[in-house]
Amino acid sequence: MTSKYPRRAPTIDEVPTRAVPPVAAPSSDWQAGGELCPSGAILPSEKRIQLGKCVFCQRCSGAGFRFDESPEGRESALLAQTVQANDGASPKGPSPFKRSFHILMIDVGSCNACNLEVLNLATPYYDLNRLGIFFTNSPKHADALIVVGALNKSMVEPLKRTYESMPEPKLVISAGACAISGGVFQDTEGFASPVQGAVPVDVVIPGCPPSPIQILEGLLLATGRLEGKTGGRAIH
Amino acid sequence: MDSDEGGEDVLMPKYVERRQVEEAGGPVQLSTVFKAGDRDYALLSDTANNRTILSELPTKLGEEFGPLLRGLQARPGSPVDLDLGGKVEGYGVFTFPYGPVSYGVPEAGGFKFITYGERIVKVVPQVNFKKRGVENRAVGRDPKDVLPLIERSAGNFSAAYSSCFATAVEEALGLRVPSQTKWTRAVAMELERIYNHLFVFGRLSEAAAQNVATAQANILREEVLRLNARYFGHRYLFGINRIGGVSADLSKTDRKRLSGSIRAIVQEFRRLIDYFLSSRIFLDRLQTTAQLSRQDALTLGAVGPAARGSDVQWDDRLTYPIEPYGDIYVDVETEPGGDTMARTMVRVKEIYSSEVALRELLDGMPSDGCSAQARSGAPIMSSPEFSFCRVESPSGDLIQVVELDERGRIKALHIRPASLVNWLPFAKCLERNVFTDFQFAFESFGLNYADSDR
Repeated sequence: MTSKYPRRAPTIDEVPTRAVPPVAAPSSDWQAGGELCPSGAILPSEKRIQLGKCVFCQRCSGAGFRFDESPEGRESALLAQTVQANDGASPKGPSPFKRSFHILMIDVGSCNACNLEVLNLATPYYDLNRLGIFFTNSPKHADALIVVGALNKSMVEPLKRTYESMPEPKLVISAGACAISGGVFQDTEGFASPVQGAVPVDVVIPGCPPSPIQILEGLLLATGRLEGKTGGRAIH
Repeated sequence: MDSDEGGEDVLMPKYVERRQVEEAGGPVQLSTVFKAGDRDYALLSDTANNRTILSELPTKLGEEFGPLLRGLQARPGSPVDLDLGGKVEGYGVFTFPYGPVSYGVPEAGGFKFITYGERIVKVVPQVNFKKRGVENRAVGRDPKDVLPLIERSAGNFSAAYSSCFATAVEEALGLRVPSQTKWTRAVAMELERIYNHLFVFGRLSEAAAQNVATAQANILREEVLRLNARYFGHRYLFGINRIGGVSADLSKTDRKRLSGSIRAIVQEFRRLIDYFLSSRIFLDRLQTTAQLSRQDALTLGAVGPAARGSDVQWDDRLTYPIEPYGDIYVDVETEPGGDTMARTMVRVKEIYSSEVALRELLDGMPSDGCSAQARSGAPIMSSPEFSFCRVESPSGDLIQVVELDERGRIKALHIRPASLVNWLPFAKCLERNVFTDFQFAFESFGLNYADSDR
């Protein structure tokens, strides 16, 4: 029952239909796509898709954007990316997190779906303990902070203080469109900024919400266990 | 008694009575207050006669409605205390703040516990840490563009939210919606109820350190989420609703398979419950914990499984039966106990009754299409000032009031989430309990900050 990922590719049940990213086809109408997109992920002027903003609603299929839902296409739904730190000082060399890895989830204004998907990692179907990854309940014990939700004005300070109380070395993982860019909430009154506007982010996991397997991929990427993962997709 | 003036411009759904109520109280609960046009209205629930009452303000509002009003009107950016006021003082009494970054509750929200050590004297829930302002963001936009926002207001109640919104908008537009659409929505809402109740059961067993039960409940919940993904494309049922339609056209074989899978899951759950009911240590944590009397449930306006656990017979599926709930058999599950055990048993029985309802929904689903006839822009509404809808979300009664302008865009949107009204009953029933009971009380209410903060 437990997932075989990352030893094997994720199954169809582990990557749902609405986790597959949109792909532009020659026939895609960028202008119409930009109007259909609820979160501004489609940029008609630059003709590109910002997956960090995408909420995977598939409304843009009405403008000719494609979704490869075949079993092979679903692997393209593994979208986690490392982010170059703003000051260019991201650590080089071997990852300090090759052994056990303790993560802490913080909600800064989510709809609760991302929270549930992160918690699902501890259930028998995903069982992240088999990979030496553990949830912890204190920032003092955490190696990585998983941030979910559209950063709310009243959560900026708690987020910064949580980050500051973590010991070095530490990582921040932004999970979900809301944390990366605000998603559908980017123009609401309560939205403060993307998470990277408050604390430095190392890994982003697009999705709305990212499925447990997608989050797991982000965690493995953060620990440096997915060497050779190629990037190249436009996240920011 | 119907009041005539101003009555004809409001679309009146069935099971609604329009009359002036001077004071809420007794079996008549105040559900919400909202502004439409330049008038103030109140929606009330007559729990004795199972009717929704629409009344104009001024209805006299007692001070017990203060927190509800504060919660409804709160602006984003600062936390709001939901309490009835009054100071607690005494030797050794202190306030213990908890949250918004807490790990017992996996969401951003807080509490102030007023205590003198182990016993809780009073609890003040703090909400609004993640208020995003969905209602204001919707203003001036086309309802179909607002749907992605609505269904992400509370991710795990997404089907209830979007179905409620779509129904209210369709009513305002005067759209004739095919029955299959409505039946498909009900299927999604029942699936949502099952996985949320399984989540609550899992959290309760986790709190009681029942690891096997936790794992089993989580397995079953994951299986329901996978069914959601297989038949509706999304694990949390985002994107299933359109205005006038649904995105999933369940074929006959799909429906048969879905029905079979749900039956297998619920059968497994029954076995789990047999073990649960024979585990004395588990039951000891739930029985007599956080007792909410029927009187308090009524006065403080509790809704959903929390109210039904205190013997209040209100379930929107029966008292506000939008199609198809008038056509299928749904039982109101109530328990007289008022304790955590009663609320848990209400949820357990609702999983069973949802399975029966799902079987009926999937067997008898009409096949007259998944979208209303295409019609763009031009609103055909007569002159409805506003329309509203009530839907039983997994944690209780969800109300949305929609006001459209002449171009069919949202003029005002009002959401009254279930979790918002359940904070006070929750705080009330936790008094005189000990700290270790907190998690049981919290989980059994199914309180959801995303829902109450929207």
